[in-house]
Amino acid sequence: MTDIQLEQRQLLLDKSQWLRRELLEMVARSKKGHLPSSYSCTEILISLYYGGVLRYERGNPTSAGRDRVVVSKGHAGMAAYPILADLGYYSAEELNRFCKADGILRMYPDPSIPGIESSSGSLGHALGLAAGWSLAAKRDNLPNRAFILLGDGELYEGSIWETAMFAAHQRLDNLVAVVDRNGLCIMGETEKLVELGSVEDKWRAFGWHTVSVNGHSYAELLTAFSLIGKTDGKPLAVIANTVKGKGISFMEHKSGWHNKIPTEAQFDQMRQELLVNPIHS
Amino acid sequence: MATAPALQRDILIDTIFEAAKADRNVYFVTADLGAQALDRFRAELPDQFIHSGISEQHMMDMAAGLAMVGKKVYTYAMACFATARCYEQTKCAVALHRQPVTLIGVGVGMGYDDAGPTHYTTEDMAAMRALAGIEIWTPSDVESTIALGKLTLETPAFRYIRLERPALPDLYHGRFSEVMSDGVAELKRGTDICLISCGYMLHKSLEVAAKLEAEGLSVGVVDLFRLKPIAGDALARILSSYKAVVTIEEHFLYGGMGSAVLEYLADRNLHIRVKRVGMPDRYYFENGTRAQLLRLTGLDVESLMNTVRSVAAQSQTQA
Repeated sequence: MTDIQLEQRQLLLDKSQWLRRELLEMVARSKKGHLPSSYSCTEILISLYYGGVLRYERGNPTSAGRDRVVVSKGHAGMAAYPILADLGYYSAEELNRFCKADGILRMYPDPSIPGIESSSGSLGHALGLAAGWSLAAKRDNLPNRAFILLGDGELYEGSIWETAMFAAHQRLDNLVAVVDRNGLCIMGETEKLVELGSVEDKWRAFGWHTVSVNGHSYAELLTAFSLIGKTDGKPLAVIANTVKGKGISFMEHKSGWHNKIPTEAQFDQMRQELLVNPIHS
Repeated sequence: MATAPALQRDILIDTIFEAAKADRNVYFVTADLGAQALDRFRAELPDQFIHSGISEQHMMDMAAGLAMVGKKVYTYAMACFATARCYEQTKCAVALHRQPVTLIGVGVGMGYDDAGPTHYTTEDMAAMRALAGIEIWTPSDVESTIALGKLTLETPAFRYIRLERPALPDLYHGRFSEVMSDGVAELKRGTDICLISCGYMLHKSLEVAAKLEAEGLSVGVVDLFRLKPIAGDALARILSSYKAVVTIEEHFLYGGMGSAVLEYLADRNLHIRVKRVGMPDRYYFENGTRAQLLRLTGLDVESLMNTVRSVAAQSQTQA
């Protein structure tokens, strides 16, 4: 690896720790939020925004040539908030007002927030919206791409598969679905509730170019995203195998923590644990 | 050789097509319902035509996405599927984001008579009215259909257009533009009972009124072509001449057109007797033509005449 690549890699690793800490403090202040779901997709979002994948303009959330991103698993939509502040789309002060009456940042994002392309909270819609964005871009010969972050529980929503079939038929290779495969939904493990089985096989069967990666490895995530536009016309599905609550010992892979708010003592323990970066590559 | 009268769907699609030829941002999305006019659209403007699959949920999410990037989007399906199948998508993708998508539903009421209740649209007025920000229109002749089509092109908005399956006789004879912004029109003036209706049943209402005229009853007929937002003062002005109102809809009585009229009257503190006529609260699987089904459900002309006569009699005694 070159010096520049090492530097970039270190930046990404630092961002992992930064984002987890920012999200912790947002929830500690507001006593609201979904931390474990946000921690499983931390590296996914950082690789997109800071790994040279997304096209965007700092300070200009509605730039014409931008790629559109939606955290379709809306309960983790908050994970993008510190990133969007960092990009200058709104003041970082807003992170202190998360879920507060005088703040613009809501539990579930909506487009009144700069940098947010669509409301989320109800699962399964964003992929369809993005099919519209991507189809229009193709027909208008525009370079914009769309990146939709889906939960694996979200894959239960049938409308996603309607869109998946359509997108493959229309050869929307400017559409990327990233599945945060953390194996849990609110009531327990996906495989014990309604078996998803091989998520890769399912996307592949629907005609998507599908790759499976360690969702906490920048090397693997960035390699997957480098495939964009090189998929022989197929939309791209990145199945990111992740751990819900990654980085916090008492949250990792525990469904009971979905929307539980830690106690003050637990927040302190979390701060201690995050002194060591849970992500190493 | 006389040509068959034009179906509402062909009239509307042709109106959209004319604009789409000059505006490449006009997109037409179908969930596998066809039309002669759509065959032409698809052949001549393939880049503006989308077949979504028989996937109404995907269709609505995608339509919202297309609208977000500046397309003038029309969605198109049989009315029952266009409304019920993808209700949440219409709410969360289109309505929440206030996207100017035009939903076209074909075959309201029991228009698809031979297909049975899975193909009937008898809940749509109630369900769609509840969506915030939606406009709901039921054009009942060629002229009003064309005018509505042009409106959707000139000022795109979140609208649901309810089209009947068959062709319908002319009603407006060049005068629709005078009443369009009112959302309501008095097609026949009377002094005793006012029939309020729309669509296929509007035409039946005119038949009922004409027949009762011969019995000496003065029955007016109002076209409530815009269900939401419901008319302003125009409707109150019209109703001020009558002793009673009968609303007639090929729709269940829970939350439909009659309910909307009751809401209107209550909101304005207007006291007038109202009898609501609609489908009984059950689904009908019986075979029959539309006329036979209307007889079965009490919406045939004879039954309607009896209802109006009895309302008139009650209004007389309580005058």
